[in-house]
Amino acid sequence: MTQVATVFFVGRFQPESFLEFIRHRAERLSLAAAVHSAGPNCIEVSVAGDEELLDAFELACSLGPIDCLVLDHHRVSTAEAPERVGEYRSGP
Amino acid sequence: MSFSGGWYPVALSNQLEPATSAGTRLFDREICIWRDSDGGVHAWEDRCPHRGMRLSFGFVRGDRIACLYHGWQYDMQGRCRFIPAHPQLDVPSTIRVATYPCIDRLGMVWMCSDLKMEMPLDLPIDRRDIAPVRSLYVDCAPIATMQALSARSECTVLAGGALISIHAGPQNMIAGFQPFGKGKTALHIVFLGSPEQYPGNARRSAAVWAEELRHDLEREPVPDTAPAGSYEAAPWRS
Repeated sequence: MTQVATVFFVGRFQPESFLEFIRHRAERLSLAAAVHSAGPNCIEVSVAGDEELLDAFELACSLGPIDCLVLDHHRVSTAEAPERVGEYRSGP
Repeated sequence: MSFSGGWYPVALSNQLEPATSAGTRLFDREICIWRDSDGGVHAWEDRCPHRGMRLSFGFVRGDRIACLYHGWQYDMQGRCRFIPAHPQLDVPSTIRVATYPCIDRLGMVWMCSDLKMEMPLDLPIDRRDIAPVRSLYVDCAPIATMQALSARSECTVLAGGALISIHAGPQNMIAGFQPFGKGKTALHIVFLGSPEQYPGNARRSAAVWAEELRHDLEREPVPDTAPAGSYEAAPWRS
């Protein structure tokens, strides 16, 4: 069953590197994803898909690329879904 | 002489039994070769998309191969079809393994080194009666191996270097040439003819010849026309 959620990653990021990492994982899992904000300490992503795949996405992204460190991550259900699979837009 | 993208043998057919998998390399890329229960051969990137475990360590069940690590199952097209931890999940089609063109021919398993290349396998010899001898893995660069082989035996290079016809003493053999890695070469040796034509003694003596070849190649210094770590011969030096 499709769910919509916003995932927050907290840590130390090279935003471009982490966003590319996120994009690859979302594409691999066929998840719609849109970046709401991306800074050096927090990345906020909206994703939609099966709950198991959202779990997989969150866990996979928590590992992060070599130049980023994820210290914490959590997810909250939201109502607004990203528009399409593989969509990748930055900003609110 | 140089080795480039194209079809290369990666195993003797009789070494890859139905419902088994094995790991190999081509141009230093790690490859999983496996044979399904119906006898079809497959060559894939040797890496499960989940956690990167080698798929060649996995289990073949019918027309699928399952990763040893978490049991993710992939069909013959490389698409993940079942995740044991989430049996109800409709697995997205984007979870898949990179697959190479692969075919069984001339008693060897052949794969195309380029994922996107769509050239057919065109061999100058087409025989079904093959007597396999053995595969030989030599710690010697592909170009150096080819040059040393040509220097010691009467050889004819076929199929762009992927096949060599070898006349060694009374024996005529065919060797499939696998550029395994920059410092390693595999030769897959067969006789053209049925196993009845080439009984145990003939194949045993060919295997001994191959062992001696390996011993000599690994002992000989690398010729200066074949720089170590290259798939191409150096330019001619007078």
